[in-house]
Amino acid sequence: MIKFAFITWIALAPLGAQGIKLPSNLDRLAAKATDVVDVTMDANLLQLAARFLSDKDTDEAQVKKLIGGLRGIYVRSFEFEKPGEYQDSDVEPVRAQLHTPAWSRIVGVRSQKSGDNSEVYLKTENGKIGGLAILVTQPKQLTIVSIDGTIDPDQLHELGGHFGIPKVDTRKETGHGKDE
Amino acid sequence: MEDFEQELKYALARKEQPPSLEAKVFASIARDASARKLSWRWEALAASVILVAGLGAQHAHAVRERVAGEAAKAHLRLALQVTVTELSKIQRTVRASTEDE
Repeated sequence: MIKFAFITWIALAPLGAQGIKLPSNLDRLAAKATDVVDVTMDANLLQLAARFLSDKDTDEAQVKKLIGGLRGIYVRSFEFEKPGEYQDSDVEPVRAQLHTPAWSRIVGVRSQKSGDNSEVYLKTENGKIGGLAILVTQPKQLTIVSIDGTIDPDQLHELGGHFGIPKVDTRKETGHGKDE
Repeated sequence: MEDFEQELKYALARKEQPPSLEAKVFASIARDASARKLSWRWEALAASVILVAGLGAQHAHAVRERVAGEAAKAHLRLALQVTVTELSKIQRTVRASTEDE
């Protein structure tokens, strides 16, 4: 039993150091999806991208500063034609990694009506944010974002409207679109 | 003693070189110079080829790195687009629900 616990600990120990590990079964969903976003950027790729971000350009300098403390960014987003193309079991391995002491769920939004479920998790390391994970499950969409490293969510939000990132209005939506 | 003196005198006597020797020496010098000149040309050509190949490789590496860097930048932009959009949607939903309360 002790041996089993030790082997499990050895197997899971790197996960805490590397952020969450996206299961390979997610790649299978790509075949069923109409739209797929699949981004895997480890520390080396982030460094390479940073070398091509200009310090003179305000937007790019802002992004460069943001990614300076990151070890990786991993995004999987699938949009499906119809509901039921993915199962809870596809997301469960990700959720299980987030239900560990290192991670804290800071936001959880569930809509019984639409079936939408959004969760934001933060990982703390030595009193600082050491990772961010977003899990959005909708009947026809599944999005998982894992950011590994020191990150400021406010700084991330400020990127809206810069660097080709659309500025999303966060005000309450009304029946006619957006709030005044 | 006289024989010895005779032999010595004969040995030290100035002898005319064979007429072909001078030509042979000059021909040999010319051959060496020509060979050296040819060798220098080959070395210069080899150095040029190496230099051009080196510069070409360096340029190709720089181009490859730029392409990879621009691709990495595009991936980063896409990843941040998805992240910021999803965070904003969640924030909007949370704000809407708190305003309703």
